[in-house]
Amino acid sequence: MPPSAESALPRNGFKKIKSESNIVTIDVGGQLFQTTKQTLNLAGPDSLFSRISESASAQLAPPFIDRDPELFSILLSLLRTGNLPSKAKALDLQDLIFESQFYGIETFLMNSLSNPSHFDAFNLEKSLILPLNGRDSPSAIATTPFGSVHVAHGSKITSFDWSLRKKSTILTQFTAVDSMLAISPRLAAVGATDFSGLQILDLENGFVKETLNWENVTKTGSTVQGIGSSPEFLFASFESSRRNSNSIMVYDLNSLSPVNEIGHYEIYGADINSAIPATKLNWVSGYGLLMASGSHSGPSGVLGNIKFWDTRSGNVVGEIKENVDCFSDVTVSDNLSAIFKVGVNSGGMFFADLRNISAENPWVPLGERKKVVNGKKEGSGCKIESHGSQVFSSKGGNIELWSEVVVGSKKSSKNGREDDRQYHAGGKGDARGTTVVDACSAFSSLAFFFLGCATVSLRGTRT
Amino acid sequence: MDNGNSHPAPGPCADDRIKLNVGGKFFETTLSTIQAGGPDSLLAALSNRSTDDPNPVFIDRDPEIFSVILSLLRSNGLPSTARRFSKQELADEALYYGIDSQLKSAMSPPPFSGIDASIVTTVQPASDGCPSAIATGDDGSVWIAHGGQLSSYDWNLSHSGTIRTHLEDITSICRVYPDIAAVGSESSAGLYFYDFSGVRNLGSIHWTDPNDPRIFKARVTAIADSPGSVFASFDCPHRENCILLIDKSTLKIVSELSRQPGSSAKNLAVGKLRWVPETSMVVGSSVTCGAFGYSGYIRIWDPRANEMVWEAIEPGSGRSSRFGDSFADVDADVEESTLFKVCSKSGDLAVADLRKLGDDPWIYLQDKNPRMRNTSGDRPVGHSSSVIRCYRNQVFVGREGGLEVWSRVAKEENRVALENGVCEGWYRRNFVDKVEDSERGVIQKIEGGGDRLFVIREEVEGVEVWESSCSSGAVSVL
Repeated sequence: MPPSAESALPRNGFKKIKSESNIVTIDVGGQLFQTTKQTLNLAGPDSLFSRISESASAQLAPPFIDRDPELFSILLSLLRTGNLPSKAKALDLQDLIFESQFYGIETFLMNSLSNPSHFDAFNLEKSLILPLNGRDSPSAIATTPFGSVHVAHGSKITSFDWSLRKKSTILTQFTAVDSMLAISPRLAAVGATDFSGLQILDLENGFVKETLNWENVTKTGSTVQGIGSSPEFLFASFESSRRNSNSIMVYDLNSLSPVNEIGHYEIYGADINSAIPATKLNWVSGYGLLMASGSHSGPSGVLGNIKFWDTRSGNVVGEIKENVDCFSDVTVSDNLSAIFKVGVNSGGMFFADLRNISAENPWVPLGERKKVVNGKKEGSGCKIESHGSQVFSSKGGNIELWSEVVVGSKKSSKNGREDDRQYHAGGKGDARGTTVVDACSAFSSLAFFFLGCATVSLRGTRT
Repeated sequence: MDNGNSHPAPGPCADDRIKLNVGGKFFETTLSTIQAGGPDSLLAALSNRSTDDPNPVFIDRDPEIFSVILSLLRSNGLPSTARRFSKQELADEALYYGIDSQLKSAMSPPPFSGIDASIVTTVQPASDGCPSAIATGDDGSVWIAHGGQLSSYDWNLSHSGTIRTHLEDITSICRVYPDIAAVGSESSAGLYFYDFSGVRNLGSIHWTDPNDPRIFKARVTAIADSPGSVFASFDCPHRENCILLIDKSTLKIVSELSRQPGSSAKNLAVGKLRWVPETSMVVGSSVTCGAFGYSGYIRIWDPRANEMVWEAIEPGSGRSSRFGDSFADVDADVEESTLFKVCSKSGDLAVADLRKLGDDPWIYLQDKNPRMRNTSGDRPVGHSSSVIRCYRNQVFVGREGGLEVWSRVAKEENRVALENGVCEGWYRRNFVDKVEDSERGVIQKIEGGGDRLFVIREEVEGVEVWESSCSSGAVSVL
């Protein structure tokens, strides 16, 4: 940051500045401010600030901006240091947001208020409850890298802006949204297990931009079972309405045109494994693979599979068959290069190293050992989600945080594997009386957990 | 907020600038900003002063409120500091500076959307708090009839006046002019006009017929108005009834629309009247509920030709695909020229296009929301009281205490289908309220006005005001 030029000035006036000087004087609502062109140019070429810095040298009189000087002084500090001065706490954030929009530097405010480095997994507390109008409880939630969040409840989607102060609600054609993924600040891919087609919704204006459909052999509708994305592609897991075929479609994230179709299964006879559509799609960026997982509850218990797809060739690279203690929910952590699951029968936490997934039983139990009793479903309804190097899992109304503990020396663990990774649970949440029905990680400093009542609670750090 | 389009060019010439001294605090702004209030405002008048005087213009008012006013003029939005002042203070100050229209647009709620609305306040008259009828204005103001009194609440929902009327119990009210109300009662005879600005009675209308001794003590059951006339349905003690067409400017009877003997359910007095501007027709309906369920009629009259153009009698019209499920309430969506009814037994909603009415024009809307199905299934729908009101292309239905909205799904393909009439599955049903809201009492009447929805409940004091909001209303639980 360039240092502020104020100290170099004579105390009695602003007139002695040479025209070629770097120092710019601005008159905001009757108060004079001085700064440098470099500081103003930080705001970017489209902002009002850089236009001031261009016009300032041509004129003798300082340019006049008809705005509030108090708010300007805070935004100037923000521009100088990248941080909000402490006196900003006396002001309402909403005023600052409006004012920063006027000057075109909202991103500065956004970055100073929601920096990913503010996220401290061990210091999470319930901080906000976002109320939703009407009686429908939330059924899906999507976060964006911009800090905003979309919540689907009933046939409606309510979007909260990055500051979580403003909201807007649109009506969709769905009766209930089951999966939702934000693909740009205003677009979201939305699907339901009882409605044909994946809809790309414009959340600002509330219309359907595009409907993506998978043409199955039976020519029936195709419902959406899961949505995922990589930096380039959008993935959608479809199942035909007759439930006799399923497939994962790969779309280009920008043009939304179909690129590839992977994992197309037609069901003949009693081949139960191919009848399971993928319900969760996670992109494993470290390996460039798509993790698709699905499970099925049948008379012989819960069966499932986790497949790793090479999306370009359409080949399965690795597969974990889940016949004993199938996952209730599964997630992948790129930072830890491992996948994590909660066993549906035992309710216990497991992890598998991504390098090790082709092994007979790659799962390594974490925490206290729980006995697998077939038929018992301790882990039913448990959700698991990773964020950074942490893994959050829910059980009932509690949220557990699992994080890796680095152990210096190599020693073999109990089950004789060459494994020096230990995980410890900590930071138990206390969302008593509510049930976590889905969990979702956010990209900025926030993690959202989504509760089975008509509110969305937000867990953020306490500052 | 349209902050984006008001970017001033940096550095306008010094002549454009104006210094103000408000109560000892100095403000500097541009002429264009303070002229934003319109040519008649005080601030614009000050800006026309000669610029020779080097001293700033002195205004002897509170500087803190002025900073709010100046913010409003600069950005078209209210700053958070406005919360330090009451709505009334701000309104008074804006009136002093002559910029009340700016304040009105900054303070009014966003467009009303039933899928995202919450109760913001309850307007309660000081005495006899149970409202019997309400009339709304386009700016979100409301007139409340309560216990023979008429109270007026302005766009800000602050009380602006009360009139004691000749009637003991006002059951119908209509805003015939911005300041003039037409009121009627089902317990005493006559239609009365009251002027709010002068607080006086402008006259009354009584239905009489020297040739028919049965026409006496006619009471008003419904009122509606068109740009030129007022329609009022009158009902006599012996059930003789008619709709009188009254000229709005002279307040004199012009014609009698439909005289009926009132001897059976299909010729009882009209209980609800609505004027449809697109076709210049009057829609009237009457519903009674007896031991054998609901019965009633919907009729449409052309007042110029003085004839009835369409009618539907339920039960009775044999062509109805839903025999035995007669309507409980009906309302016309005057913007879309559609008619909505709510069925008494099934509770379903049906829509008819007013331009294409036939023997059975009803299209029954599908309710796909599984959550809604469960809630209506746990009690016999046939005995619940239903109220229906169309407002801003949405249909609001009150079932007992619950308030729901049917809103249309936006869909590009619909543009083509629109010309072919209404189609089922277009509407989505959602609750506006929460369960705890519905426990406050049975909904008696729903009215829309401006960007607000007003709800009155049976034997509950006050009028509920529902608004949409852009604010997330996040609750901090740290």
